[in-house]
Formats: sequence, structure tokens, C-alpha cells
Amino acid sequence: MNTNDKNELEARVHRTLRSLPNRRAPSGLEARVLAELTRRAALPWWRKSFAHWPSAFRFTFLALSVAAAALLVYGAITVGNSQGAHALSGGLSSGFGWFTLARDIVLAARDRVASLVASVPRVWLYGGAAVIAVSYAAIGALGAATYRALSVERSPS
Amino acid sequence: MNDETKVQNEPSGLGPTDDFTTFMRKYQDMVFTTSARLVRNDAQAEDISQEVFIKAHEHFEMLSKSPSAGGWLKTVATNLSLNHLQRYRKRWKFFSEFGSDTDGEESPAVEFAAPDTFFADVDSDERRAWVEEALSKLPDHQRVPLVLYHFDDIPYDEIARRLGVSLAKVKTDILRARAALAKILSRGGASLEALTG
Repeated sequence: MNTNDKNELEARVHRTLRSLPNRRAPSGLEARVLAELTRRAALPWWRKSFAHWPSAFRFTFLALSVAAAALLVYGAITVGNSQGAHALSGGLSSGFGWFTLARDIVLAARDRVASLVASVPRVWLYGGAAVIAVSYAAIGALGAATYRALSVERSPS
Repeated sequence: MNDETKVQNEPSGLGPTDDFTTFMRKYQDMVFTTSARLVRNDAQAEDISQEVFIKAHEHFEMLSKSPSAGGWLKTVATNLSLNHLQRYRKRWKFFSEFGSDTDGEESPAVEFAAPDTFFADVDSDERRAWVEEALSKLPDHQRVPLVLYHFDDIPYDEIARRLGVSLAKVKTDILRARAALAKILSRGGASLEALTG
């Protein structure tokens, strides 16, 4: 297609498209919008976004958040520096003995799986991995081909 | 045609409005049409139109006094429609680009149907319906940039930026879209000459 043809095509398409009037909006659109606005207006302030909270509550929330953060930081510094920190860590480890048990179970299971895998011949391991990879790629390719075929059927060009 | 910086089309003859319902009635056709031409689905276009007017309500104090309210609505409708399309496009991007048509390939020459009197007695509604249907038959990657260029007067580079594709792809897709549109209309017995008068 030479430049003149392209320019002519552009001009004609532009005239054709710009001559189109607007489509009529669905008759229910206005009612839907008004209903949604009414629903949102009826929500209590705490169910709306932060920007719609009353100013007093926004200020109070921010002030409490800052105070809580400052308290946490102060508490962490105080506990870390005090002699009670050692007693605290000892108490925590005895209280969380279940964590040690769970960790031992997980490590034992990991060792068992590792020994099982070591007993399988390498050829089987690599072959199995290759089969899985090829199957995955084949399924992906099949899906892509199907999608393209369906797209081509719908496309006019 | 699109040399200047993009400016959203402002519907003519629509002044500021005090009442939101009246405001909505004035612009709802334009908003719905903008969205429907991009997403090609009336139900989704209606959802997007609802979202546009809800956002407009939040800014109504400003919009009711603004002469460019229509442009604002059109911009928001376009952006929300593109966001909607991008969400779905990302899911299928791999499949749609797998073995896709080659860029840079010359478009086939379009032979315009000879001017005829086929539409002599066809009214404007039917003519509109033909063209709208032809437009809806275009695939997304052609229709969306075509709509943005011809209806919204957005320049090529801005379209490329918004769609996240190269400038060359935008130009190619728009050129192919025009050719495909002319071909569809030719097959339907219409010609661009007859349609534009």
C-alpha cells in the first residue's frame, strides 16, 4: 500500500468513524448509579475509606498510632537493655518447647526424604524430571494453539 | 490530523449543570459509547460507565462548574476501559503472542468497493449499525488503538505509552485495522465512499 493509499484510507476511515453518533446508554444505568450512590451514602463512617472519616477521628487515629509506635520502640529498647532480658528469654524458650519438637520432626522428615532420593538411580530422576518438563510444555503449547485457532476463527482479517 | 497534543473531545453544546441527575443524562451516552467501543462488551461498558459517574459524583462540585466536564468524563472512561482491558490482556498475553503475525509485514492492498447506490435508501441508524458492527469485529489489538486514534484524537506515541507497546506496533495495528475495517464493510456490500457520502 503506497503512501497516497494510506492517507486516503486514513481520511476515509476517520470521516466514517467520526460521523458515528453516540450509542444510547442502557436505560438502567442512571438508576444503577443513583442506587449505588445512595448505598454508599448510607454506610456508617467507619466503613468508608480513611479519607471520608470525620476529621476528629482521623486525628485521633493518627495520634494513637504514633503513640503506640513510640511505646513499642521504647519498650523494645528498655527490655533489650535490662537485666530482665535474660530471664525473659529463658522463660520464653521453656514456654515454646513445642517449637523445638516441631523443628526436630521436620528435620527428621527432611533426612528421610533425602535418603530415599539418594537411593533412586540418577537416570530415573533425570528422566522423570524431563518427562514432567515436556508434558508441561506440551500442555502449554496445546492451550496456546487452541486459543490462537479460536482467535483466528473470530478475527475477520 | 493528530499533530497537536492530545485533547479529549469535548461534546459541544453542553454547559455546566447544577443537578447531578441532569448532568448524568447529558453525558451518559457519550460515556457509555466511549467504553463500549473499547471493551466491546455492553455489560462491561455499563459497569465501567457506572464507575465513571460515581467518580464524577465525588468531584461534582468541580465538574458542575467546569466547561470541560465532558472531556474529564471521556478521559476517565477511556482510562477505566483500558485498565479493564489490560487486566484481561495480561492473562492471555502469552497465548495471544505465541506464533503471532509478524510485525513489519506489508498490509495487503485494499481495493475500495466501487461507489454504488446500495445505501441510497438506507437510513443513518442502519448505517451506524453496520459500521459499529464492523468495528466490533476487529480484534482487540487493532480496535483499541484505532478507537483511541480516531475517536479520542490521541497521538500515536501516547497510544503506545498507554498500551505499553512500541510505536511501530501501534502504527502497524492501526493501519491494519483501517484495512480490515474497509474489508469488512466491502464484504457487507458497503463502501467507505458510500458511507461517508
